[in-house]
Amino acid sequence: MSVRASMFLHVLKRGLLGRGNRPLIAFIALTVAATMITAMLSLYGGLENKLNRDFRSYGANITVAAPDGQRLPPDALTRAHSAIGSDAIVVPFAFAIAHTSGDEAVVVAGTEMDQVRRLNAWWSVSKWPSGDDQALAGSRAESHLQVNHGSFDLDFAGRSLHFRQSGTVKTGSDEEDRVYIPLSTFERWTGIGASLLEISAPGSRDQIAADVSQLESALPGMQVRPVRQLLRAQGAVVSRMRSVMLASTLLIALTVALCVFSTLTSSILERRRDFAVMKAIGSSQATVNALFAGEALTIALCAAVLGYILGSGTAAWISQANFHAVVTPQLSVLPLVILANLALALLAATVPLARLQRIEPAGILKGE
Amino acid sequence: MFFRLLYQSFRRQQRRKLLAGIAVTLGVAVATAMIAVGVDVGDKINRELRVYGANIVVYPEDAALQVRVGDQEVKPASPGTYLKESTLPNIKGIFWGHNILAFAPFLETQVQGQSGPIRVLGTYFDKQLRFGTEEFSTGVEKLYPWWKVQGTWPSDGSTDVLVGSQLASRIGKQAGDSIDLSGVSARISGIVSTGSTEDNAVVAPLALVQRLAHAPDGVDRIYVSALTKPEDPFARRDPDRMTAADRDRWYCSPYANSIAYQLREVFPAARAEQIRQAAQNEGTVLSHISGMMLLIALASLIAAALAVSAAMATTILERRQEVGLMKSLGATASTIASLFVCEATLLALGAGILGFLLGDLIAQRIAQAVFHSGVAITPVLLPMVIILALLVTIGGSAAAIHRALNLDPVLVLRGDV
Repeated sequence: MSVRASMFLHVLKRGLLGRGNRPLIAFIALTVAATMITAMLSLYGGLENKLNRDFRSYGANITVAAPDGQRLPPDALTRAHSAIGSDAIVVPFAFAIAHTSGDEAVVVAGTEMDQVRRLNAWWSVSKWPSGDDQALAGSRAESHLQVNHGSFDLDFAGRSLHFRQSGTVKTGSDEEDRVYIPLSTFERWTGIGASLLEISAPGSRDQIAADVSQLESALPGMQVRPVRQLLRAQGAVVSRMRSVMLASTLLIALTVALCVFSTLTSSILERRRDFAVMKAIGSSQATVNALFAGEALTIALCAAVLGYILGSGTAAWISQANFHAVVTPQLSVLPLVILANLALALLAATVPLARLQRIEPAGILKGE
Repeated sequence: MFFRLLYQSFRRQQRRKLLAGIAVTLGVAVATAMIAVGVDVGDKINRELRVYGANIVVYPEDAALQVRVGDQEVKPASPGTYLKESTLPNIKGIFWGHNILAFAPFLETQVQGQSGPIRVLGTYFDKQLRFGTEEFSTGVEKLYPWWKVQGTWPSDGSTDVLVGSQLASRIGKQAGDSIDLSGVSARISGIVSTGSTEDNAVVAPLALVQRLAHAPDGVDRIYVSALTKPEDPFARRDPDRMTAADRDRWYCSPYANSIAYQLREVFPAARAEQIRQAAQNEGTVLSHISGMMLLIALASLIAAALAVSAAMATTILERRQEVGLMKSLGATASTIASLFVCEATLLALGAGILGFLLGDLIAQRIAQAVFHSGVAITPVLLPMVIILALLVTIGGSAAAIHRALNLDPVLVLRGDV
């Protein structure tokens, strides 16, 4: 290493470490900037996924229905899964009109109970059925079923079947008028197959739209429909929140950056005597600039790394506290944060250095 | 003398004061804007979620079960009772009437078409109603903004109808044709597609269907879209088993359950229920979004406070020489400290108010750009941010003032420190 280079490094080191905790303020300011930028970018990146996941709790976002009076092909479930992936929840439904022992008509639906439970977590169910002969009664249908000691009879086309009622379901819509029984029991009893698939596909509005066309080609002749009101609400909320987050990120980044800028500028201006001494004993303008810039960049780099760690922590905390989801730090944010911090530090150093160059060292040293 | 020092400090050190002032202004502005947006975003998203449709349904207590599978439908022996159309405007009169964004009544009947029975749904499209002195319009155009109509929406007073897209292609009709509904010749003003059961029905003005069903003033169901607060354990309690104070609090909170309860008071012998799919899930989305925005507002508050403190500390450290000079001329530490604290206070007050106004402006711009409506900023926020600005500015300066006072004036004035 040449003498010049080692001298340069020595002065740089003393400038960073030999001035007590003076560089600390600049370091803190830059760390705060990096922390906020990291936290906001991480949250912004993960937001869409989390909101899309929230909207899945509404239940089905696609329905596949057989044309009236027909049934779905027997392998519809597997075909649907292979068309849109195994992440999707696919629940088959079959419907028939049965008669109670009081000869009242009621709609009976056959379905897979554990899947419905996953799909429609918003159903308010007192107790889910667990056996083949257990039935879930809609809260409005219940009073028509002539339930006797927790069980009731239903008649379909002359074949009567005995059910035990496991609980009631409240939803505030059509489900309350029906009786839900396991699909296998339903098919054995009525001989009618599933005519409807309710599907909850993961992802954004566009991905769901793509899934719809996948399903159309996998199940020709069936009516594949997106649940339009849900997709519309999802699209509106996700895009609004994306804009709000973007605006907030820019606003916070800009503010913190300006505060950092004023801090760094002052701390360099404060050292005009150092600057003057160096020039007076013969160092070139370029060396002095490089020294001050080197100092600022070193601080900025360290602050970026620390800020990245703190910011990832903040983002993880916010996600955990709010969405109850674990968030892994996003590595793609790191280069962006380092770059932003370096640019900020360099910019903040340029303005005062340009000002100092115009002043004679002698003037500064005399204290003018 | 003290005031002259204070005055001169602001007059002569304009650059420093400007930098510190900018820092405080921006810090307060970002805090104000984030809090304003964070508090308001829940309400805004709530409105966006209402495009989903109704979240409360009202129907007669003894309504018959719906027994329909596809085309097959079993009509109950007795037609059941109806709600009264004439009481509909009273919906706006409930305690949370202002939170009712839209509602639409429905009456269903069947007519014989050439190729089998046709379901006919009567409703409001965009009906003008009046409650007291308040004029408003409501109907499915507002309630279900996702309904797609090819052609035009019928007017509520006419005998124009919409035909569901599947039904239209089955019976070979299109917009502009006319359709015979039990002897009434109705003009098809448009083809409606909803992705749901309406695609297989005729949607007609309520008055027309009341005539077809021989049910004057009758309504089967009312769907209501209301702005509600996410449900919590308190909301799920039974109001009839609460203490009077709890009941008042429950009644005066815009929960889906309490709005349903108030609707029941308007329609005797009716049931009003939350539609759980809409009500429960929008609660999840809403609480997540407003929770996140509040946490972000909190984080940006802390960040702004740190950034401002750093800026304040720098400006004070720069003035060591001044402190040294004052000390050597005989000023006591408390005089010097109070001078700096006064400076910081003036700065915080001025920049705080400016920052509040700026933050207000920024929040309005964000809300306008994203949601096309402004935000309401509570005046309580002003004293809050001013106190915050004072704390941060004085707090940020305190350590630096302490350091400056501890330095030996001799060394400082020689420039050795």
